[in-house]
Amino acid sequence: MKARDNPFTVDRISALRYRPLDTTFDEILRRLEELNYRAAIVGPEGSGKTTLLENLQDALAQQGFKTWMFFVNDTVPLNGPACRRLLTEVASDEIVLLDGADAVRRSAWMLFRRRTASHAAGLIVTSHRPGLLPTLTKCSTTPALLQEIVNELQPPGRTLSADFLSDLYQRHAGNLRDCLRELYDLYTAHA
Amino acid sequence: MDKLSIDLHEDKTAYAPRETVRGAIRWNLQTNPEHLKFSLIWYTSGKGTRDVGVVQTVTFDNPGSFGSRDFAVPLPDGPYSFSGKLVSLIWAIELTCMPGSETARREIVVSPTGSEVLLGDASMQGSHPWNEGNRGHSPLERILGARR
Repeated sequence: MKARDNPFTVDRISALRYRPLDTTFDEILRRLEELNYRAAIVGPEGSGKTTLLENLQDALAQQGFKTWMFFVNDTVPLNGPACRRLLTEVASDEIVLLDGADAVRRSAWMLFRRRTASHAAGLIVTSHRPGLLPTLTKCSTTPALLQEIVNELQPPGRTLSADFLSDLYQRHAGNLRDCLRELYDLYTAHA
Repeated sequence: MDKLSIDLHEDKTAYAPRETVRGAIRWNLQTNPEHLKFSLIWYTSGKGTRDVGVVQTVTFDNPGSFGSRDFAVPLPDGPYSFSGKLVSLIWAIELTCMPGSETARREIVVSPTGSEVLLGDASMQGSHPWNEGNRGHSPLERILGARR
C-alpha cells in the first residue's frame, strides 16, 4: 500500500477534532474564559491534549484573539536562556499556547508563568500532571472512543473487530496515538 | 453555492520537471472575497509529520464574486512525486478564498517518467504478533470484516 492511501496517515489523524468524553467543547471554552485564559490541559500520552490545544487555537482565533503556539519536548528542553529569548517575543495581546509544559525546566517554568501573567493575554499549556496551572480539563480515552475514531478513518465497508481494538487499546494503555500508529503499520503490511 | 474550480489544460495531470502547468481557475461565490490565493505546492503524507513546500503563490485582491483567470506555472526540477510505504510526496495546485473555507485542489504528478515513482516494496509482513496462525486468510482479512 502506498503511504498516501493508508487511512491512518498523520494528516488524516491530525484533521480529527478533539472529542470530549464528559463535557462539551463549548463548556471547555466557557471554563477557559472563567480561568482568564490561564489553564492547563492535563492527561496522559495519546489522550488528545495536543489536539484539544490546536482546536482551542482555532476557536480563539475565530473569537479574535491572537495566539502563539509552540512545542517543547525532551529533546529540545526549554531552559532559562531560551525561555528569556522566547518571552521577549511574546506580545501583550497574545495568548501563548505551550504544548509539553512538563519538559520545561522548573526555573524556566517559574519565569515563564510569572512573565506571561503580566506580559501576555493568556497561557494555556498541556501537561501530563496537574498543578502547573488551574486544570481546564482532564483528557482521557476509552476503547469506544478508539472504535469511533477508527470507524471514521477506515475506508467505507471495512471495520476492525471490537475485540481487536479492545486488545490494541489495552496493549497501548489507552494511548490512542500509539494505537493509530500500529494501525498504520498494519495497513502498510497487509492491505 | 460557493464554488472554486481548477481546470488543467487538456486535462493533463502528469508533468515532467521544469515543464509548465497550464490551465484556468474559476470562481463563482455568493459574496465578494477579499482575496483568492492560487498556490503550487507539494506535501508529504504518511506515518510522519507532514512536510510542505510552497513553490509559488499568487494572490488576487478583490477578484469579484465570479470570474476566471488563465495560469501558466513552471515547475522546478523536483522533488519528484513518489510513494513508499512510509511516505508519499504529492504535488497539487490549490485555490482558496479568503475569508472563507472554500478550497479547490487538483493533484498533479511531477516525474520524468510521467508517473509517480514507487519506492521499493519493503514488506513488513510477519512483523506483527497477530500474523501467527494461518487460517487461509491474511491477518488484515481476518481482522477486517464487511460493515453491515
